[in-house]
Amino acid sequence: MFQVIDNDGKVINKRWMPQISDTRLLKIYKDMLFARVADLQIVSYQRQGRIFTYPPNYGQEAIAAAAGALIQDNDWMVPAFREMGTMLAKGVTLKELFLYFMGYEDGSKFENAKFTLPISVPIASQLLHAAGIGYAVKYNNEDKVIYAFVGDGGTSEGDFHEAVNFAGVWKVPVIFIIQNNQYGISTPTKMQTASDSLAIKAVAYGVKGIQVDGNDLFAMYKAIEESVKVCRNGEGPVLIEAVTYRKGAHTTSDDPTKYRTKEEEQEWDERDPMKRLKSYIIANKLWSEKEEEKIIPQFKEEVDRQFIEAENYGPYPKEDIFKYLYAEMPDDLHDQERQYDRFLQWKATKIK
Amino acid sequence: MRYIFKFPDIGEGLEEGTIVEWHVEKGQSVKMGDNLVTMETDKVVTGIPSPRDGVIAAKFGKVGEIIHVGSALVEIDIAGVEGDAAVEEARKPESEKSFVEAVEEEGAGVVGTLEIAGNSMVLSASREGVNSEKAASSKERKVLATPVARAVAKGMAIDINSVKGTGPGGRVTKEDILNFTKEGSNAKPISSGSEEFSKQSAPQKRVEIEQLSQIRKTIAKNMLQSKHNAAHMTVFEEVEISELERIRGKYKEIMQKEGVKLTYLAFIVKATAMALKKFKALNSEMDTEGGNIIYKRYYNIGIAADTEKGLVVPVIRDADKLSVKEIAKEIIVLSEKARDGKLTLEDMKDGTFTITSYGSIGGLFAVPVINYPQAGILGVGRINKKPVVKDDSIVVGLVLPLSLSVDHRIADGGETARFINAIMGYLSDPVSLLMD
Repeated sequence: MFQVIDNDGKVINKRWMPQISDTRLLKIYKDMLFARVADLQIVSYQRQGRIFTYPPNYGQEAIAAAAGALIQDNDWMVPAFREMGTMLAKGVTLKELFLYFMGYEDGSKFENAKFTLPISVPIASQLLHAAGIGYAVKYNNEDKVIYAFVGDGGTSEGDFHEAVNFAGVWKVPVIFIIQNNQYGISTPTKMQTASDSLAIKAVAYGVKGIQVDGNDLFAMYKAIEESVKVCRNGEGPVLIEAVTYRKGAHTTSDDPTKYRTKEEEQEWDERDPMKRLKSYIIANKLWSEKEEEKIIPQFKEEVDRQFIEAENYGPYPKEDIFKYLYAEMPDDLHDQERQYDRFLQWKATKIK
Repeated sequence: MRYIFKFPDIGEGLEEGTIVEWHVEKGQSVKMGDNLVTMETDKVVTGIPSPRDGVIAAKFGKVGEIIHVGSALVEIDIAGVEGDAAVEEARKPESEKSFVEAVEEEGAGVVGTLEIAGNSMVLSASREGVNSEKAASSKERKVLATPVARAVAKGMAIDINSVKGTGPGGRVTKEDILNFTKEGSNAKPISSGSEEFSKQSAPQKRVEIEQLSQIRKTIAKNMLQSKHNAAHMTVFEEVEISELERIRGKYKEIMQKEGVKLTYLAFIVKATAMALKKFKALNSEMDTEGGNIIYKRYYNIGIAADTEKGLVVPVIRDADKLSVKEIAKEIIVLSEKARDGKLTLEDMKDGTFTITSYGSIGGLFAVPVINYPQAGILGVGRINKKPVVKDDSIVVGLVLPLSLSVDHRIADGGETARFINAIMGYLSDPVSLLMD
């Protein structure tokens, strides 16, 4: 497994230490911290009954942060649903993410983020979109890279196979990033595949692949940086298995204590990505606990501010349910809308 | 102002949660995000944080109590929010709730929508580009109705096309059909060409609709749960009980003076409890979630009772420790309560094994359904005189048919046979009940 720093934030692999300026590194850390603060707040909002089901990022922040630091405005972001850091880096706002998890169609309409697909809850279907976009990019001779995310569970889907196979055949510029957080909901990776790893699947597809310590920001950064070069050189897709651990629940409807042990969780606490990067930047005098204590309340306030904005977004128009699937609504949908109208009229007579 | 925080649906489609622990007291100030209470739901055990800053004005529910989604959990005094806005905020979920209830009662909207897809059996082909108005008008001609309404109409032989629908989008509902027959307006039975048929199919008589009672719902749920979860296996046996009859006859009259009716069932309960002590698998349950088998060291025998309202199963506690006479007394008390509908939950819970004695009504053998999650149920059939072979000659014997269903996941065939042998041993030689 590719690593650059150890659990205490000490560099153990100088040769592959990426070149990142101090200010840039500090920004990456703060972005990770912001994502973590927001993530914890959202789980609390959910428990207060103020937002629907939410999949926490807690413990996996380094992967999305590394991708977020490298993705360009014109690159494509094809998310699953646990990549808050990359989404924010692309210019998606927290408020927009809140709207999504509150059930608004507008939660998929990103005002400032270009080339960013909506969150994809169906497992692995987004990889097909990524492969297709990659094909179009290549066909049009555009200089763009597609960042496509999936979880370990998603690698068992047919869509994963089709997408990686297609991308390999056509040598399209897609970086497939598998966030292997050890569990597909409650199914451990060992039960997910008989392969020794997920990265090894790249061999069968004839594409480049690497297993990376997903809790090591520097290793993730370097792996993606090299993958981007491969893609821009027209040498086809790269499959990255980012080994990490979901410290939270799969979603707010899941209880991980039913399938994990305390010992296992403590073991992974040692490898927490924030802890490791923080040790590094504190050792290099870029950051201090004091600064962190000062900034967290500011972050919390900002998260609350955007949340309350989303909460006051107002009801969405009925048309939202129908109008976004096609550029022009086909007759079947018009029919459904009429039927729904009649249902609403009838319902109105039933409410006293 | 007072803000009423109602228990939110924190899973997907949760109905209720149980209070595990309170973390706040009345009068305590809380900040948004502070943990108020730990709740256990079908999905998770989790803290519920406060949605507002303020002071706790009231808490609803004690530890162990079930709180329904949408019911008040705490009342928070919020500083700074006053007047109408506050009242409105507190009220809002209430109106939403009553709306949900209204829809649930009718249920027609949801069912009706599904029905459209079901009616054509296949997904309609894309009509993209087809003239929209035309498509819409063709749909208008079809009578929309819920499956229930169609079934009722069919049962009452009413042409559904002649009923005016009052449901959403003009759907014909069950009520419409019923009202239609009440009005007796243009009620035209479906023409069959046979007057005889028309007479027979006169409205009202063909079906009678009765709402499910709570007890029927519970029976249905339990039966289905048992059939879904247990691997049923049944063994049939016959036991000759002349000796038991002799002993019962002897003591029956003595006990009658004390007002105790000594039944065969009392002996069977005793024999079963004694046999259960020897074969622990039959007095256990499987805990698949924990990966355990739970053997119970108490022997509470449920007795299936036939009542006017439906099946109930009162329980004779610690039957192994009771004498046959005590069991007989207990049976009288419980069956009277059952008959009068006075059984409490207390009378019916914690059974470890069940006996269903249908023989007094009729039936030799049956395949009883296990009272899940128990491991077995013993069916007692009608006692009859039969020729039996005794010392190589045929004599008149008194034969009791037994049907034992077990959960084959827990009880193997050998264990099951040994268990029923033990019961038969006790019943054919009742004195042995005193020996073990």
